[in-house]
Amino acid sequence: MSRPRRLVVSATLLLAAVAGTALLSLASKKSKYLPGQMDDQKRAMHALNRLTFGPRPGDVQRMMAMGVDKWIDLQLHPDRIDDKALDARLAQFRTLRMNTHELVEDFPPPQVIKAVMEGKEPLPSDPVKRAIYQAQIERLEQKQERKQEIAVANASAPNPAAANGADAAPAGAAPPPENQNRMSDEQLAQRREDRLYASLKTEELLNLPPDQRLKEVLKLSPEDQRALAASLKGPKADQFLEGMSPKDRETVIALNNPEQVINEELMQAKLLRTIYSDRQFEEVMTDFWFNHFNVFLNKGPDRYFVTSYERDVIRPHALGKFEDLLVATAKSPAMLFYLDNWLSVGPNSQVALGVPRYPVRPHRRYPPVAAQHGKGKGKRASSGLNENYGRELMELHTLGVNGGYSQHDVTEVARVFTGWTIEDPRKGGAFKYDDRMHDPGEKMVLGHRIKYSGEKEGMQVLHLLAHNPATAHFVCNKIAMRFVSDTPPPALVDRMAQTFLKKDGDIREVLKTMFKSPEFWSDQAYRAKVKTPLEFVVSSVRATNADVTDAMPLVRQLANMGMPLYGMQPPTGYSMLAGSWVNSSALLGRMNFSLALMSGRMKGVQVDAGQLVPAAAANAAAQPSDSQQTLAQLEATLLAGDISAQTHDAIVRRLDDPQVTQRKLDDPARPPNVPMIAGLILGSPEFQRR
Amino acid sequence: MAITRRVFLRNSALAVVGTTALPGFLARAAYGAAEPGSTNKRLVVLFQRGAADGLNIVVPHHEPAYYALRPTINIPRNKVLDLDGFFGLHPSLASFQPLWNQRQLAIVHAAGSPDPTRSHFDAQDYMESGTPGVKATDDGWLNRAAHTLPPSDEKSAFRAISMGPALPRILTGAEPAVAINNIRDFGVAGGNPKAAPIANTFEAMYDQSVDTVLHGTGKETFDAVKMLKSADPAKYTPARGADYPRGRFGDSLKQLAQLIKANLGVQIAFADIGGWDHHVNEGSTQGQIANVLQDFSQSISAFWIDLGELAEDTVVVTMSEFGRTARENGNRGTDHGHANVMFVLGGPVKGGKVYGRWPGLDPSQLYEGRDLALTTDFRCVLGEAVNRHLGNRDLTAVFPGFDNRANNFLGILG
Repeated sequence: MSRPRRLVVSATLLLAAVAGTALLSLASKKSKYLPGQMDDQKRAMHALNRLTFGPRPGDVQRMMAMGVDKWIDLQLHPDRIDDKALDARLAQFRTLRMNTHELVEDFPPPQVIKAVMEGKEPLPSDPVKRAIYQAQIERLEQKQERKQEIAVANASAPNPAAANGADAAPAGAAPPPENQNRMSDEQLAQRREDRLYASLKTEELLNLPPDQRLKEVLKLSPEDQRALAASLKGPKADQFLEGMSPKDRETVIALNNPEQVINEELMQAKLLRTIYSDRQFEEVMTDFWFNHFNVFLNKGPDRYFVTSYERDVIRPHALGKFEDLLVATAKSPAMLFYLDNWLSVGPNSQVALGVPRYPVRPHRRYPPVAAQHGKGKGKRASSGLNENYGRELMELHTLGVNGGYSQHDVTEVARVFTGWTIEDPRKGGAFKYDDRMHDPGEKMVLGHRIKYSGEKEGMQVLHLLAHNPATAHFVCNKIAMRFVSDTPPPALVDRMAQTFLKKDGDIREVLKTMFKSPEFWSDQAYRAKVKTPLEFVVSSVRATNADVTDAMPLVRQLANMGMPLYGMQPPTGYSMLAGSWVNSSALLGRMNFSLALMSGRMKGVQVDAGQLVPAAAANAAAQPSDSQQTLAQLEATLLAGDISAQTHDAIVRRLDDPQVTQRKLDDPARPPNVPMIAGLILGSPEFQRR
Repeated sequence: MAITRRVFLRNSALAVVGTTALPGFLARAAYGAAEPGSTNKRLVVLFQRGAADGLNIVVPHHEPAYYALRPTINIPRNKVLDLDGFFGLHPSLASFQPLWNQRQLAIVHAAGSPDPTRSHFDAQDYMESGTPGVKATDDGWLNRAAHTLPPSDEKSAFRAISMGPALPRILTGAEPAVAINNIRDFGVAGGNPKAAPIANTFEAMYDQSVDTVLHGTGKETFDAVKMLKSADPAKYTPARGADYPRGRFGDSLKQLAQLIKANLGVQIAFADIGGWDHHVNEGSTQGQIANVLQDFSQSISAFWIDLGELAEDTVVVTMSEFGRTARENGNRGTDHGHANVMFVLGGPVKGGKVYGRWPGLDPSQLYEGRDLALTTDFRCVLGEAVNRHLGNRDLTAVFPGFDNRANNFLGILG
């Protein structure tokens, strides 16, 4: 770089710096708030950072025009906010509007397929549904055949050693147990052939208009249908499905894997909601409560229960009374299955004691037999108390691990909830209270005597827990951790807990206490939280006004970043703390995501980088100073100017790098590389915070 | 490879046969040069998250109470892979048998944390912080172990690594540690040389950031990226015979082996495997526990074969937050328990033996009348590994509040 140019750059830098500071000082009015409190613009930004999944271009200005307090009040009443634009985006996902029973019927799980195979249930008459069922039947038949072949192979293999444990000598090498996932060479060859045929057929079908493809697919044999559906992956799948109606698309995917349809629609909907809903705060609270009352999507039938769980249990109660939310989760098939309560049986219940369901003619020589472990056909074949829900209800949902309960309380609570079960869980049934599973007698929970009263006992315990001061404190602390900082001020949490107890667990009231508190608006809270992967990805998409046409690539990104949607296996839910998400893998993942997003390499997401810097686009004759201007504009748009001198300088130093400016030696007329600069900002330390 | 360094040196007083026939480390020893591994003793910690059922993993098949307590989910005597007449391995652990026979695998039974909690969350927290019962500890014992190691000449960015998308509690602390989810993605823009200026810009940003949290991690990250690039792990094939099973755990160990073999100075490593919380339908010789044990043992034995001669300097320890109830529950599963089993695998391990005092499964011998009682504190096992293998002399820093004297060690490492 020649000397004069360097001088120009330094001068420009200086000017820009001075201009920048001048702008900032002009913008901040004399604060009408206490020292250590934020000014108006900061308040707007802070509110957006905390109550939404990230500001979009123009949000700060819009909010300042409306007034921050008014905006917060509006967000606290989501029913007053019109969300038609989001609804339009979600219209294509039919499963979102179906109840669990319908989901099971249209996208049958293995248990339903088995029932049909065994003749216990009829095949549906609707040709499309029928095709899905037949494809799955064929798949199950193949699986059973393979299992039989392996069993036969095992039977003829030499017996493993150590037949007699009393032998002192250590056993010699035993043959490894047959790996049930490994296929024979013959099967592998068959698989390859199937795949070849499937890809040829796909090519053929691509020549047809999209609305005719499904019809042709349905003409194939169930085996070929499934092979074709299974072979559709990645760009091939996108190509094949493009232009098809939502129902057709779902059918094609269901031919291979019915559950996949439900899960993918659920995950895509979640991302689209967090990105595009105008009821942003409601989405934030829905996410918060789902995490608090965590359910793991991939635990068996939960794959079918979670859609309704989020839609009918979590979201409607997200801003209501805590007890209502608690009861709704306690009765939800999703939670009952996830924490095993559906098969918990009281030790002295009728089921455990073998009391027959219907009166039997008494026989002198037929004494009642205590129930043994039933024949393992799944379902209600147990006679044991399961403490899982009892423990997590207190440890994770209400009192917290230090909330003052004992192991005895856990067992007693488990007894209280025996009988809270699901009608036919593997067929998508609803909550059912079964008194035959319920443990009779009195229970002692946290010093309270719970008289025997069937289902009412559970309601009583939930009421107790929902109004316990430990619960108030535990829940308010979690809320404060999400919205204020990783280590929320105890005084604030105390005041929130008081509101919780005084206002009957009214979540909205607790939130109001928090939003009106000086702690929430203190300078220390500004950008104090590190974004989780979800918050990072969504805020990037929102900050750049990107258009998401296919959310699945983003879903996969989140899985790579360690936060698969609905994918938290233990009931503790995802962490909200910085330490959990700041590590090398995560940081690299975020930097790479930022670059990919801005350079158009994130599939399914389109970013119009030009509209982020409107003035630059109009300026055809690019000058060296335009990169600086672009940078300043992007800093304002994406970060509201909250960029550190260090980050700013690091980017400025690169602005003359040809790679960044897209400028070649003799070609001074190229515009600044907006995507690259924006990518650098999204990957910067500042953007990782909210 | 049946010949170990100790056997060789014992039997042949450094007679040099012909260097081409010797495995590398022996050749180096014979020539008197310092082995590359001498300051690179490696400790690998594997965490079975979810409370693995120790009683069905290393089965006390000679204990009659075992069969009485588990009528439907026991491992029958004729299916168990016998170890010493009293204990036997679950049949899915067949790939551990050669390691046992070669005396590289040792077992500690009835080991674990003395804290009475049966909460997964708390118990894992205590095991990772290394201070059972104390919630205020904010770093992990493995990080402290790394931090108090004798200083070595080159402090590699890969000295302490964790396989997975998040840095676990056990490795949080003052010592820089790197979380690696996928080696291929570990770099900016896939290591594409055209992206170098951008990578450099990011590096400068994080290097100079006043955000302490992000600055620290950022710096470690870029150091690690640069080191990895210079080692060029582009095309990696595991050693012959190292057949990793498909799945997250096998993949983690494969990548770990790759990093170790790339000579990046890996000294401390961590990986975890979930899927052990079998409250319902645990299964016995088949079923849930059998499947996860197969994944577990085949991944570890593939890792061991893959390491080749580097196994000589490596010690692997497995742990789980607690065991499970001695008695099966009403759902053909088990609930949260207390003591558990730990595996210790390594070149210097005195294997082929089950260590620790077996408390018995009689009702009067059970902890709180329901669980396997604890006779060996997990810190005793880990302390021995950290002290005898890594050469860390400051165990009170690694396990504060625990009396970890050398004469209390079980003698697993000689």
